[in-house]
Amino acid sequence: MTEQKKPKRKPGVCIPWEEKLKELPEISGDKELVQKVWEDIDALGYVYIWQCLLSF
Amino acid sequence: MAKPFDIAQDKDMEQLYAERLKRYVTAMRNEKPDKIPIRPFVAEFTAKYAGYTCQEVTHDFEKAFAAARKCAADFDWDAVVGNMVYVWTGLTQAIGTKYYAVPGIDISPDIGFQYREPSEEEAFMKPDEYDQFIEDPTGFLFNVWLPRISADVVEIGEPASYRNNLSFLKGGMAMLNYFNAFGKQNELLRTESGTVSAISGILKAPFDIIADKLRGYLGLVTDVMERPDKVLAACEALMPHLLHVALSGADPDKNVPIGFWMHRGCVPFFSQEHFDKLYWPTLKPIIEGIWAKGHQVLFYAEGNWNAHLNAFAELPEKAIVYHVDMADIFEVHKAIGHKFCISGGIPNFLLSYGTADEVRDYCKKVIDGVARDGGYIMDASAIVQDDARVENIKAMTDFTREYGVY
Repeated sequence: MTEQKKPKRKPGVCIPWEEKLKELPEISGDKELVQKVWEDIDALGYVYIWQCLLSF
Repeated sequence: MAKPFDIAQDKDMEQLYAERLKRYVTAMRNEKPDKIPIRPFVAEFTAKYAGYTCQEVTHDFEKAFAAARKCAADFDWDAVVGNMVYVWTGLTQAIGTKYYAVPGIDISPDIGFQYREPSEEEAFMKPDEYDQFIEDPTGFLFNVWLPRISADVVEIGEPASYRNNLSFLKGGMAMLNYFNAFGKQNELLRTESGTVSAISGILKAPFDIIADKLRGYLGLVTDVMERPDKVLAACEALMPHLLHVALSGADPDKNVPIGFWMHRGCVPFFSQEHFDKLYWPTLKPIIEGIWAKGHQVLFYAEGNWNAHLNAFAELPEKAIVYHVDMADIFEVHKAIGHKFCISGGIPNFLLSYGTADEVRDYCKKVIDGVARDGGYIMDASAIVQDDARVENIKAMTDFTREYGVY
C-alpha cells in the first residue's frame, strides 16, 4: 500500500479492545481470552457494515 | 452407512471435481490445461432453467441455491458461483434497505432485482461530508450512511425505535445465516456435480464505491471537477478497508480468485485523466497487496475498459484474471494476454437472440483468436440472465467441450 495516514478505526474493528478495556474492572482471569473473544465478535460488526456497503 | 454404489459415485464425483479444479486453476495461471474450462456466471438464467421466477431466486436464497445446483448438474461446467443472483432481498428487506427494486414487490416477479440510484440531491453522502467520511469510514457508514439507506435505522441522536433495533438484529442474523449457507452450497456443488465454486471474496474499487453507494454517479462527476482532492482522500481512506474485506473473504487454499466488480470508473464515464489520477492509483496498490498474499483477483470488466489496458498491464504477471464484457476481446488478448488469463467475450445478445449455430461460430472465433496457448476461460460477456436461450447456453457449453481440447 502507498504511504497513508493511519485510519482512526483500523480495518476489521468497530470498537477497539483498548477502548473496551478501559470500561472493564481489573481482569483477574485470562485477559488474552477476553481480548480474543471481544475482537472476534467485534469483527462481525465490521463485516456487517462493510458487506452492506459492498455486497448488498 | 453409504451403499457401495454411493461410495463409487462419491469417488467419481471427487475425481471430476479434482480434474475441473486443476483445469480451472491452470487456465487462471495463464497456462494450458487439458481443455478450455467453462465457468459461466449464470444469474437469473438459473431460475429460468430450473422453473423458478426471478422473485423466487431473489427472495428465497435456498431456491437460488437449488437452481444453481440444478444447472451445475445438468451442464458440463467446471465452475460456477453458488448464487450469482447474489443479492438476497430477504436480507435487504430485514435491514430496511431502500435502494433495491425487489421482484414481486416493487417490480414484476419476472424481472431481476434493480438498483435504484438516488438523485444527486438525495445522495447518501453529501458533498460537504467528505471530511467526516475520510476521518472515519466505518463510523460514517454506521452513523450516517446506514440511517439514510435504511427505512428502519434511525439517525444518531434520534430516539431508538423497535424497528431500528430489529434492523440490526434481523439483518445481522440473516447475513450470518446467508454467508454460512454458502459453505454448505459449495460442498453440495462439489459432491453432487463435481463443480468448483468459482470465486471467493469481494472487491470493488474505492472510486466505484463512492459513485455506487455514497455520492452517486452524477455526484461524483461533479466532485471530480469541484473537489478532486477530497475524492482522492476518500478513495485513500477506503483502501485499507477494501483490502481487508477482500482478504478476509479470500479462498484460504489460494485456488480461486477474489471477485472484483468494475462499474463506472472507466472512459467514457470518466476521463482518462480522472482514471489516471483517482481510479487507478487507489486501486492498483490493493491488487498488489492481494497478490502479495498469494491471491488472484478476477477483474470483471463490465462494459468496455480497453482504454485502460496499459494500466492493467502494469500489474504483476498472473496477478489477475481479466474478464471481457463488451470490449474487443482480441484487442484485450493482444494487450495483456501474455500476462493474464482472459475469460468471457461471448455476447449476451447472441445468447438471447442468436441461433445455436451463431453461438458456436462465435465461440470458435474467440477460441481460435484467444485460447490457442491456454489462459482462456469460456463464459458469456456479462452475467447471464433469464433472457438467454437454453439451447444457446447448451451450444456454448457443448461446442467448447468438443472444440476446446488441447
